[in-house]
Amino acid sequence: MKRVLIFALVLVMSILAVVPSAAPSPAEARQDKVLEIYITGLTEDTMAWFNDVAFPAFEADHPGVTCEILTGGWGDFDVTVAGWITTSEGPDIIYLGSEYAATYGDLLMDLDSYFAEWADWEQYLPAAVDTVTYDGHIRGLPLLMSPRPIFYRSDLMVGEAPLTFADALEFAKANTIIEDNAAKQWAFMDIGNDLFDAQEFIAYIWSAGGELYNEDGTSAFDSPEVAEAMQYMYDRRRIMRPTEDTAGLPPIEGTALESGMVISGIFPMWAVPATSDPIWDNVAIEPYPAGENGAPLIQVFIDWLSVPAYAQDPELAVEFLKFIGSQDNAIALKDVAGFTPTRQDAWEQIKATDPVWSKLLDVTVEYGRAFSDIRASAELRPLIFEQMTLYLTDQQSLEDTQQMLKEEYDYILEENGYLD
Amino acid sequence: MASEARGFTLEWALYTVIFIVVSSVILGYLAQSIARVFKLSKAEQRKVFWGFTFAGPWIVGFLIFVLGPALASFYYSFTDYKLGEEIKWIGLDNYRRLLLSEGRQGRQFNTSMLNSFYYALLGVPLQISAALAMAILLNKDIRGIRIFRMIFYMPVILAGGPAILLAWRYMLASNGGFVNEAMRKLADTFFVFDYLYRLFIYLMEAFNGFYIGIMRGDPLGPLKYTMPAFIATLLLLALARGEWSKGKRVLAWRGAQLIGIAISFWLVAKGLTRQPINPAWIWAGGGVALASILALAYHNRREVLYVQIATLISVVAVAGLALDHADFELAGSEAWRYLIPLAAVGAAVGASLAGRWTRPKVAALWAVTGLFGLIVLASLAPDQFDRGRLEILTRYLTFGSTIKHKADLDYLQTTYPAWLASAVWFYGLAVASLLGVALLDTHYPRARRAVVTGALVFFALITAGSLLDGWRYFDAFLDVARAAGKPNYHFALFHEAVAEFPDKTRVPLWMNSELWSKPSLILITMWSSGTGMLIFLAALKGVPRALYEAAEVDGASAIQRFFRITLPMISPAMFYNVVIGMIAALQTFESIYILQTPLTRDSLSSAAFLLYSRTFTELRIGEGAAMSWILVAIILTLTILQFRYSRSWVHYES
Repeated sequence: MKRVLIFALVLVMSILAVVPSAAPSPAEARQDKVLEIYITGLTEDTMAWFNDVAFPAFEADHPGVTCEILTGGWGDFDVTVAGWITTSEGPDIIYLGSEYAATYGDLLMDLDSYFAEWADWEQYLPAAVDTVTYDGHIRGLPLLMSPRPIFYRSDLMVGEAPLTFADALEFAKANTIIEDNAAKQWAFMDIGNDLFDAQEFIAYIWSAGGELYNEDGTSAFDSPEVAEAMQYMYDRRRIMRPTEDTAGLPPIEGTALESGMVISGIFPMWAVPATSDPIWDNVAIEPYPAGENGAPLIQVFIDWLSVPAYAQDPELAVEFLKFIGSQDNAIALKDVAGFTPTRQDAWEQIKATDPVWSKLLDVTVEYGRAFSDIRASAELRPLIFEQMTLYLTDQQSLEDTQQMLKEEYDYILEENGYLD
Repeated sequence: MASEARGFTLEWALYTVIFIVVSSVILGYLAQSIARVFKLSKAEQRKVFWGFTFAGPWIVGFLIFVLGPALASFYYSFTDYKLGEEIKWIGLDNYRRLLLSEGRQGRQFNTSMLNSFYYALLGVPLQISAALAMAILLNKDIRGIRIFRMIFYMPVILAGGPAILLAWRYMLASNGGFVNEAMRKLADTFFVFDYLYRLFIYLMEAFNGFYIGIMRGDPLGPLKYTMPAFIATLLLLALARGEWSKGKRVLAWRGAQLIGIAISFWLVAKGLTRQPINPAWIWAGGGVALASILALAYHNRREVLYVQIATLISVVAVAGLALDHADFELAGSEAWRYLIPLAAVGAAVGASLAGRWTRPKVAALWAVTGLFGLIVLASLAPDQFDRGRLEILTRYLTFGSTIKHKADLDYLQTTYPAWLASAVWFYGLAVASLLGVALLDTHYPRARRAVVTGALVFFALITAGSLLDGWRYFDAFLDVARAAGKPNYHFALFHEAVAEFPDKTRVPLWMNSELWSKPSLILITMWSSGTGMLIFLAALKGVPRALYEAAEVDGASAIQRFFRITLPMISPAMFYNVVIGMIAALQTFESIYILQTPLTRDSLSSAAFLLYSRTFTELRIGEGAAMSWILVAIILTLTILQFRYSRSWVHYES
């Protein structure tokens, strides 16, 4: 029996050795190429558009190429992408969030030469191009943008939408109702359905006239502008939550904007009612309030398609990026998936047909600042959570918090090679 | 195109099958060759060949998918490996940072480990109590009991799901959530319940506020001596009561062992990860190892061998590490400070391995252990006792204060603790007392009684004295904060929680406050304790009715029957639930991932959650690997300890 087994093994191995190698020539390789694209959080309609409309069109122009879409959620996004990058084995195109250019840096391919002659770049929002640029080189194509202004319920609010921190505090006092140590109405709510978020903190530093980095690249968390932003967030919290044992708002069913319990808030467009809803007659779209030496702004998040450094056929990947980023496809994606295009020549139809989007795009052009160039963002976020929690809940003074943020972030920047 | 893809997949499947078959046959041949070396008969060799060939696929899978990655992870744990960057060997740096809470990474790891211990030490007993209570209820012979069992088990299937966790988020909403609304209605209806409800809020917030203070690393001042002194007092109190028995000797011995193991861990973490290694830790480690070997020598031969081998491996490892990281020339005089203790420990342990255990050999090794102890005292004590540090003993014994500058924040925050001796000395004294009592046993009853009484008085006074001084210390911080008009600097949430008794409007802020986030998680875990319930139910079914009937005839009450019959009879099930629950608690992940908010992230984060964040979000592979190995070591140690000490409370029918 053992001999029979060994004989069979030797026979199979000999046959495999004799069979000529199936390695394809470069031309044949392109013939059999499967272009894999990873996109996060797609709806069924969007998947259908990619599979039934976009891919067949691209495949028709590129005979022998098959497009395949891989999709997943934001929940397992980090693990999934880290796995591909580690093993240098994964899709040819990877969808990334706004702050990921600095996270993956040189692990993403430098696409300058591929896009050098592409005239369409001029149509892209400068903030969007900044987002996909790392170390001065383009790493991908901006696909969609999500402006996050402050939405105000003009029919419910007392006073005008504030444009300074001082006015915003007055607005908070006038529009907040606390009864029996529990909130009945809040003047403001942030994207995390509460009163603090790391991205919002960075937005207020910018609107106070500050920056995250000094000219020498060190952290600027010790600046007076950061202190002003922190003080504003603390004061606003104390108005809406007089003590840390004050209960927040009851659970909200539907969107916060419709609830009647929230007068204003920072929300992405997928967390507000459809723009055809009559509620929009009573909603104002405004930028974030500013500090004494700053200017109001709106934070803009850009999601983009990158080409990882391990990609075997970057030329083909870039061809797909140019194809999907064309004006026609940008408009089609807006219609199908509600994506806001990052190229301005795709806005005409949107602005003509949708007054809410029209207003949103106008204020975005006027006040927009991309959430980009956040160095070592993955490590900065937990640091902000940790230190701001201590400050906002009266466990640490403002000065100590600034000092800790500065010291720790400088250490992180140094560890990640941003400082000499 | 689809058929091409299918062909490609089939091709790979074929190669995989061939690889598995070939490697299995090679494995079979290897096993057969080894069998031949051991001179097994031809028939036996054939059996070995076929056995290993057929087990081959599993073994190959294990090597490739389990052992290989585990070894790679072990290697990475000694490196500074960030994804996409060069791998740099940094020795024990990752471990040192994490274990000694250095920098942000160490601080967060410390916080996460304390959160994990919270889940394990408070969550597991509560979960087991809930499971046992449900099992006892469902063990009744009533109509429709199967439907009730199904209902009680259903949360196990549903609990991990995001939808259910989000539903819990709604139920635990501080304002308008089902739990708080129900509690408020009850409180409004029954005034006694109202008082109890507010007392519950008060106690929970005070306890969690204090725990968060410890997690943050706020200075404990005199209170850091209270815990070792209190533990020692309790143990000695148990030894002092009633007649001396074998059980008490075991208690003294076990107490000394457990505290000794905890101190050893601390010493290893502090000593071995320090660069360069302090030679005093080598003497101390050697002394502890020798004492353990000698204490076990007459009782458990197998265990003593384990300790001997582990010590020798440690000596070699420490020598390697010392030479690897040493900033001294090997030929220089500094080298001897390391090599002498290593050689001495190695020689002593080697001597313990040679020959039989005789009285002269034991006596000689005890003398060597004593010598090691003296060397440690000589090298560490001057630093510990100078500048009046010894006076804390006299102060606490007379209920005096050790705080000299009550209004100076810098003094309270930094200088004050530096003036005091390390709490390890008190743990050490507790071990010495218990070990002394265990060794004196019935041989020297008078001396034993003197040691028990003396140590009991000493530790009781230290407990009361340090507690009183701790109160003064906390008060001083509060006074400074008030005078400065700034937020509390020290145990802020604790001070806030105990400042006043909650009024009628107060509710638990379950998911929105650091004070309540961990209890929320435990509450959800308790709800899904159906698996434990099933195991208890099976065990309860197996308890013979005759035992209860006999006890009833003898006049035993229901409580007596529960503690004297039910609990001992279901102890194997209890043991299983404790071990599995403890491991699961230390690996808590999904619920934290879903329930965290920016403000509660740190107060919820477990070791497993931090490990995930550091590895996959921040891409720090090396540090993540080190965290996972520390977690493995902790889980393994706790499990071994549970098995080791289960003999005294788990009863098997056989």
